[in-house]
Amino acid sequence: MINKEQHSSSFRDPSGYIFIEQNILKRKILPIYFNQYNKLKNSKFFDKLFKSSLLIKHKEVSVSESEIVIEPEQIPFITYPYEWSFNQYKEAALLTLKLQKFALENEFSLKDASAFNVTFHNGNAIFIDTLSFDFYKENEPWRAYKQFITHFFGPLILAHYHGSEMLKLMGSFMDGIPVKTIASLLPFKTKLNPFLYANIHLLAKFEDKHNEDYKGETKSVALSKKGQLNIIKSLYNSIKKLELKETSEWGEYYNKTNYTDAAFQEKSKLINTWIRNINAKTVIDVGGNDGTFVRQIHTSLIQALVCDIDNNAVDYNYKQLKINKDSFMLPFVLDVLNPSANIGFNNKERFSFLKRISEFAPDVTLALAVIHHMTLSGNITFEMSASFFSSFSEHLVIEFPRKNDSWVQRLLKSKGEFEVHFDFYNLDNFKSNYLKCFNIVEEQTINGSERVLFLLERKNGKT
Amino acid sequence: MYLLYFDPGLGAMIIQGVIAAVAGVILFSKNLLYKIKLFFSLVKKDDDLFDDINIEDTDIENQTNSDK
Repeated sequence: MINKEQHSSSFRDPSGYIFIEQNILKRKILPIYFNQYNKLKNSKFFDKLFKSSLLIKHKEVSVSESEIVIEPEQIPFITYPYEWSFNQYKEAALLTLKLQKFALENEFSLKDASAFNVTFHNGNAIFIDTLSFDFYKENEPWRAYKQFITHFFGPLILAHYHGSEMLKLMGSFMDGIPVKTIASLLPFKTKLNPFLYANIHLLAKFEDKHNEDYKGETKSVALSKKGQLNIIKSLYNSIKKLELKETSEWGEYYNKTNYTDAAFQEKSKLINTWIRNINAKTVIDVGGNDGTFVRQIHTSLIQALVCDIDNNAVDYNYKQLKINKDSFMLPFVLDVLNPSANIGFNNKERFSFLKRISEFAPDVTLALAVIHHMTLSGNITFEMSASFFSSFSEHLVIEFPRKNDSWVQRLLKSKGEFEVHFDFYNLDNFKSNYLKCFNIVEEQTINGSERVLFLLERKNGKT
Repeated sequence: MYLLYFDPGLGAMIIQGVIAAVAGVILFSKNLLYKIKLFFSLVKKDDDLFDDINIEDTDIENQTNSDK
């Protein structure tokens, strides 16, 4: 991607846009936003937010009469709201409110509150849309209030009542879940809660009532700054306390495994040696659960993406990361059988998992205890999974549980008569198919288990 | 002129006065309850994952020092 063209995801805000120049992401600011930008810069507003790590840092590259170009700190891997765990989502929402309060105190206001303005970097949620701040106009209500509800509060409150899967709705409703939809999905008792009634049900009613006003005849009302701060503070307190109702099912995984402590140690020792040998600095663990395995890696990694299909496992990992300050880890939700797609206008606004991971190109991919699920539950053939894994990283550490492994047996038994279809599931077939895309560097059976661990290297010319 | 490139929702603009009033009552009563609890030493230690809404000056100072 070497061009100076406007980036395909950056067209909504007329204040400026991002572009990519020699693989560096930069932001162009147009004259319409010069006043705001200069005020934000000169009043040290930006500096304060940089220092508290709430807004992505940037430096000014060039200033002319027609444009100002800034270069933000580069973020190696962008995650989207529909890939966040519950507490990640909460943190992003709280960050937005924190920024709005701080902005108001400094006579600015966030002109939008899109969840896509936030991503995760160095173990924290960070605001990445530098041009979102505008001047505060005395007694004007928050223009991004509804957007905050549809992008943040709505999805979170739905997740609270119906489970974290609700957060995935943001993949379909890129402009936020409509207030009416949120209201209709909430249980009746939420109407008896004054806070929820006002912020969701009443809002939905009013939106419905006024959406036919094309002439703009209805006058907007005034709202004091104190009033607006009350809304923001009460949303903050409410979101901060929000928990998931569902009990987590993920957690017992490492207690349920069929291998001994010794086997676990052996596995992690092997992986450590291999990662050191290939000098890997960036990793993706596609079935990373709560990050237990990545935490066993002792070489210093620059970035470890730790994915799992289970939002609760990702969430548990995220909480651990916050406590341990594992800032090199970036957990997110990934369903290998259905990774995030390209969406938005021209399908070029939010990028697919595959596009982002190919650009990130991690030095090594870990696929531990994943292949039997892909093959037996997902009916993905070895050839297909080999080609998938070879599309984004040079090395692959993959664990193959043999047919006698208790997990494999459990999956096979659940197939009933269809079980014979999976006769192809054996080590020889696995190897012959993976050899089409990879060379075997190491192969090691884990003592005391039915599992074989491989270090594979991508064949040249295969991308 | 507004640099506004999406519909803020007219209903949402109008209703914010009411929502702010509700929020005000809630904040006031919660605060009162907190003070009562504080008086009777019933406040538990805060072990939340996230901070409160304020960007503390001390945060900013500390960050500056650690950056150096």
